[in-house]
Amino acid sequence: MVLLPQALVDGIMLGATYIIIAIAFSMVYGVMHVIDFAVGEWIMLGSFTGFYLTLWIKIDPLYLLPLVFIIFSTLGYFLQPVVQRVLSGHRGNPLLMALVFTFGLSMMIRGLAQTIFGFYSHSIPSYFSTRSFFIKEGSFFITISAVRLTGLIYAVVITGALNYLLKFTDFGLGVRALAMNKDAAALMGVNNRSTNKFLFGIYTGISAMTGVLIGTILSISANMGGDYTIFAFFVVVLAGMGYLAGVPAAAFVLGLIQSMFLVYLDPGFTLVAVFGLLYLILVISPTGLFRKGWG
Amino acid sequence: MNRTLRIAALAALASSFFAGAQESRDYFKVGVDLELSGDLGTDGNFAKRGYEMWANAVNEAGGILIGKKKYKVQLAYADNQSVPAQGASAAERLITQEHVDFMFGPYSSGVTIATSPVVEKYKVPMIGGPESPNVWLRKPQYTFGTIPPVNFTGAGTVDTLMALSPKPQSAVVVGLNDPFSKSVATSFKDAFEKRGVKVLKFDIVPPGQDLTPLLSVMKGMEPDIVAYGGHDEDLIKFVKSMHQINFSPKGLIMHYGITGPAFFEALKADANQIFGAAVWTETTKTSSKILWPNSEAFAKAGMKAYGVPVDYDIAGCAAGGIAFQVALQRINAAPPLDEAKREQLMKALEAVDVDTFYGHIKFATEGEFFHSNTAMKILTLQIQNGQAKVVGPPSDMEAKPQYPMVPWDKR
Amino acid sequence: MLIPLTKDRRLLVFLGIFLAVLLLPFVVHDAFFIRLFTEAAMWIGLSLAFDVLAGYTGYLNFGHSAFFGIGAYTTGLLMMKSNWPFYLALPVSALTATLAALIIGFPTLRLRGAYFSIATWALARAILQGIMMIPYAGGNEGIQLKAYLNPLFFFYVMSGLVGVTFFVLWFLLERAPFGLKLKAIREDQESAKALGLNPTKLKMQAFIMSAIPTALIGGIFAYWVTFIDPASTVGDLISDQALVMVVFGGMGTLIGPVIGAIIIFAFKTLFWAYLSAYEVLYLIILGAVIAISVVFLPDGVLGAAFRKGTGRHAKGSIHVTTPSPEKEA
Repeated sequence: MVLLPQALVDGIMLGATYIIIAIAFSMVYGVMHVIDFAVGEWIMLGSFTGFYLTLWIKIDPLYLLPLVFIIFSTLGYFLQPVVQRVLSGHRGNPLLMALVFTFGLSMMIRGLAQTIFGFYSHSIPSYFSTRSFFIKEGSFFITISAVRLTGLIYAVVITGALNYLLKFTDFGLGVRALAMNKDAAALMGVNNRSTNKFLFGIYTGISAMTGVLIGTILSISANMGGDYTIFAFFVVVLAGMGYLAGVPAAAFVLGLIQSMFLVYLDPGFTLVAVFGLLYLILVISPTGLFRKGWG
Repeated sequence: MNRTLRIAALAALASSFFAGAQESRDYFKVGVDLELSGDLGTDGNFAKRGYEMWANAVNEAGGILIGKKKYKVQLAYADNQSVPAQGASAAERLITQEHVDFMFGPYSSGVTIATSPVVEKYKVPMIGGPESPNVWLRKPQYTFGTIPPVNFTGAGTVDTLMALSPKPQSAVVVGLNDPFSKSVATSFKDAFEKRGVKVLKFDIVPPGQDLTPLLSVMKGMEPDIVAYGGHDEDLIKFVKSMHQINFSPKGLIMHYGITGPAFFEALKADANQIFGAAVWTETTKTSSKILWPNSEAFAKAGMKAYGVPVDYDIAGCAAGGIAFQVALQRINAAPPLDEAKREQLMKALEAVDVDTFYGHIKFATEGEFFHSNTAMKILTLQIQNGQAKVVGPPSDMEAKPQYPMVPWDKR
Repeated sequence: MLIPLTKDRRLLVFLGIFLAVLLLPFVVHDAFFIRLFTEAAMWIGLSLAFDVLAGYTGYLNFGHSAFFGIGAYTTGLLMMKSNWPFYLALPVSALTATLAALIIGFPTLRLRGAYFSIATWALARAILQGIMMIPYAGGNEGIQLKAYLNPLFFFYVMSGLVGVTFFVLWFLLERAPFGLKLKAIREDQESAKALGLNPTKLKMQAFIMSAIPTALIGGIFAYWVTFIDPASTVGDLISDQALVMVVFGGMGTLIGPVIGAIIIFAFKTLFWAYLSAYEVLYLIILGAVIAISVVFLPDGVLGAAFRKGTGRHAKGSIHVTTPSPEKEA
């Protein structure tokens, strides 16, 4: 019982990291209906970029986040038309083909990363990685690490920014319109192509930024992408594909499951539970916990 | 189109079948079946360095002296991609296509297990660097290892910890769920229990997890010692997580792997005072007449060749080459080796009993450590001021162990 | 049964090729090459099985390797722990796979498109993690079988199985109406129902037809390699490569996967044998191959070579309106 507050806090902290990964991913899915298998790879690329930038420029990586965002959003912006071409191709079930395409893309990026960055793992040093807060109340105690708290704050900020973008700007209006009905939105003057490009750019930018953060909290290596792709899938499916409001709750559920298994049950079964749950959710309610997913 | 393809393939193969004649040569051809890519690519590429260093040193000295003539060595590589099936295939290719005389083997236990039957079928002796115990349980006739398995070394490090004061009373043990890490954790747990230390928690976790919640629980238990079995990247994550929640036990022990270059680079001051195990370090007192006179000479050569300090796995691999040298000289075998000679080579390896820069090599010929090098001394290391120092056993102590550990936030 | 004469002739050609393959060991004596051919046969078989569900029925099973693993572990455990001989243990793999397909199929086949893919992928991973936790199955240390290193034996068993699979599938999918029925479901499930077809039953049959050869190949693999562990059997390696081979070769046909498997496997082996130093590039190239195939070769190599698609690009792009994740009455 004494452990419960710590387990909960850890779950929330873990969940915070997953939110940012999942939110952008879900957004892209909602509009473009593309499931990007390479989401983990964007994270990995971002973290390596952060690592090398910190090495060269010698600024705390958290201040480098905007720079990383700009680099990768530009990259995403120009990459998007290629993905678009796959989607509008003449074949049955373009969505599935897009999945396969991004799957091939993720393999390519991973291979390139292994070639360029080698097999070593690294850690991104940050002022915040070394601080923590300790709260003790009677027999309850909680330790909160500063860098994970930063992650939580980051998650809140990004979520807020995206929320603002979507609800209060014209661009956001266009995005939501496209998500609802592509043709009608086009009729109303929303430029499908350029909106998609911007959106994809935002997505890759956010994913890369998250990579930097993960590098400060944990570690980075050329192969790290796979784990994060899994978590992104899990959160997005649980929340309901394309349903952004469900993401925070779903992310926390994932974080809590892991935390509970590590604390109270046999940690060995953590991933069995995660994947098993993902499977069950899809089978029982593919539109997510809140039944508001696309479809 | 399908048909033409098949015929063309048939023709190509028919012609290559004729190219298999046994040639005569005046150098030894050594097959290297390694993890040059895939999950264990990092370790495999390190091991490669060890074999390269040996081959270069031997050739620089003119070759291996057999009788009155010196024979150089040539390495033939095959990547097993960290996959067991591929390891077997690579071995078969090296043996039947490249006609190697003997082989250096995989680093991963799983791949070694799949490769052993192949080398045994063709009677090609192989020395590799796997570190998990299950490789030797099958008593592979033609496979040897220069690095003792982790369940052999785990107990030794715990002994050193027991000599510390105040004497540790409690411990928590965590291991990842892969053959190596799990054996590390299990051997720690068994050793602790044998010495009367209370193991408060023992968990095997799937790789790829963020262990913070588990660590928080362990922090609450206030153990004296934390023992962890994992690989390079996981070790880094583990220490970082501990620092983030300010969990500073009195002692932290991992196993092989704290001496890897990535570890220091990533953790900097946090790496200090962590305990580990090794069978060899740059400062181990050894003396030998073969190739490198002592550890220092090898370390210097490695630094010169690769620009980074060499580690025990590189040393162990190079020492494997030395074992072959000694065995070849004993049976007076000149290349190319036919099956009968190779069988003799295998027996000669079982008889090897030699001092090298790496330590003493003598392969066990029975028991659970069959064909593993049980003559090595188990050293307990501790990282002090960025360098790995031997702190146990007392006969080899280079520095006194620092215990208890300085808490993370005071560094 | 509508069988144009042309198809009959092709059958004879295939039989001829199969016979030639069986006679191969009389020409090639090198054990290593026999091993290569055995592995090539393995991939052909895996690709064929994958395509039954993927190309013909339109369901991409990203968890395909689960069947491989089930087959490998069934045979492996029976032989190791209960000392069954190989020829008895192997058929049991087919049984367990069928059982698994039935249990997994009913809930999962209701899903559509990408949802099905992710669900099967998640389930396969759950199974992998599960095996790691079962001591009886050897956990992550794997299990080691008694070595029986007869290359010819495995060559014949593997080629035999794959050959039989090919001909059975040829008959069922290209000559019998079954193949057309599957394609009907792939194109438009609702209309298929209107025609009187039972999609659930057909999908399940396809699923089982995809599972059995895969599991049998897995069983042979276990005995052949003598060591299996979760990662090398249930891991992504198997499904990923089968996917590439099928997409590259040409989905929805039987020859497509065969060609795809041969080309990709040959490429991979040559790369591995002669360009070992650049092995890392293989991953990049494989990924590029998939990506490019999807964009430029919608019907794979076969389609591009013969300009004979599965009729897919005749369908036009406005095919997908709002595919719901599940659609089952």
